[in-house]
Amino acid sequence: MAILPRHNPTFRPLHHARLSHHNSLPARIYCSTTTTPAKPSRDQIIKRPTIVPAALVQTAATVSTRPVLNDPSLQSTWSHRVWVASGCTTVLISLSKSLTTAVDSHIWIEPILAGFIGYVLADLGSGIYHWGIDNYGDSETPFFGKQIEAFQGHHKWPWTITRRQFANNLHALARAVTFTVLPLDLICNDNAVLHGFVGVCLGCIMFSQQFHAWAHCTKSKLPAAVVALQDAGILVSRSQHAAHHRSPYNNNYCIVSGVWNEILDNSKFFEAMEMILFFKLGVRPRSWTEPNSDWTEETESASLISEL
Amino acid sequence: MASFSLPTNNTLPFLLHSRTPKATLSQNPPLLPKSSRSQFHGLKLSNSSPVSIPSSSYVKGSIVAKITEGSLAPAFTLKDQDGKTVSLSKFKGKPVVVYFYPADETPGCTKQACAFRDSYEKFKKAGAEVIGISGDDPSSHKAFKQKYKLPFTLLSDEGNRVRKEWGVPADLFGALPGRQTYVLDKNGVVRLVYNNQFQPEKHIDETLKFLQSA
Repeated sequence: MAILPRHNPTFRPLHHARLSHHNSLPARIYCSTTTTPAKPSRDQIIKRPTIVPAALVQTAATVSTRPVLNDPSLQSTWSHRVWVASGCTTVLISLSKSLTTAVDSHIWIEPILAGFIGYVLADLGSGIYHWGIDNYGDSETPFFGKQIEAFQGHHKWPWTITRRQFANNLHALARAVTFTVLPLDLICNDNAVLHGFVGVCLGCIMFSQQFHAWAHCTKSKLPAAVVALQDAGILVSRSQHAAHHRSPYNNNYCIVSGVWNEILDNSKFFEAMEMILFFKLGVRPRSWTEPNSDWTEETESASLISEL
Repeated sequence: MASFSLPTNNTLPFLLHSRTPKATLSQNPPLLPKSSRSQFHGLKLSNSSPVSIPSSSYVKGSIVAKITEGSLAPAFTLKDQDGKTVSLSKFKGKPVVVYFYPADETPGCTKQACAFRDSYEKFKKAGAEVIGISGDDPSSHKAFKQKYKLPFTLLSDEGNRVRKEWGVPADLFGALPGRQTYVLDKNGVVRLVYNNQFQPEKHIDETLKFLQSA
């Protein structure tokens, strides 16, 4: 790790697509990550932002400056923590409703199977969402604009996700999960299967951003249990996700377990979807065009050099 | 009836079918000519439906037969990338590889065009010419050809008239123009039909193999 003296303790919000290179950056501490592409050159072409659902975009600011260590935008606020707590609460309520109903009804297989299906489909959902946000729209797109911008920022600075504090990283997903699961918690009772599915599926989606962050860390920085889960294919692996951050940037979109990645990539599912959208709507996905400097990934070392 | 199966190269237990061979399909249902089946890598999709038989197109009550192996390729005259009109008859006397592709500047079509480019000398050595056809206009073809330095002619089938006349099957329930290649002999008779949407380079392998063994 290299620690540089701070020259300009400038605050910079992170994760916004537009990059401006005009600010000099303060010191930063580097942890190695696994997602950097082969070439550290800043002219390197990388086209797409990676994805990870909304969680990357925390604020409405349009900055796009290089991320800084100890940047407040990476830290958790009480608002973040409240949303994560609410998301977790709704998921836990759903899971406990499933459990109590299962006990009362003496059924086990169905809720457990529903939970497993939820886990599997969460991975598929994460991939489809990720593909859509990575390839279509821009910062001006209604509703999704901020997320799209954030994904672009993540592709540019993938390592920043490893610097985010827990609630900061998850709060956007937790918010979406709260709004989705709370009504189900209130309305649906006595349905062990539904709650088994919802609790596991939405729980995995909420934590997908944490799984994503772990996929960007080096093995030495991860708890042994996480590494074991990644190696077992239960959580998305570092190598699988690293492939998404390399040319041609059109594969390995799933970020829960990654179990769907091989099927979706081998079957050319996303290529087929892209072709259909192209012929039906005339829209080209970002993955079809040559990456430009806006999408060029800056490695930590490149960023460091640029500050000197 | 459209049907599809998941890739065989996957080890997941619920995956069933294997890819069917490409051009000379022998297990097609009797109503469907061989070239009506489309193939993707790992996905086998028949574009037939109960409503319309893909081997025929109904045009105001008349039936136009699809071009299959053994058919005499119908004549056409289309504009090339420079806006000049080119007729298929111009190529009579030598084998011709006519490949229909969805669109310029899409990933699969680019791979296919570049693969034809990279093997072009081999096609020349086999005495064959290569022609690419899509619905794009001449200016699109010109840019595509220049960008990738394609040595062969690209023709604009605007309105997809020739594609329909030849009966090139669409893929994904009609959402996607099909990717089908025909090898014509020196008399203009179709000798090979190959269809594969998502493995575009295979069109080069199959047609070259055919030409070199002929």
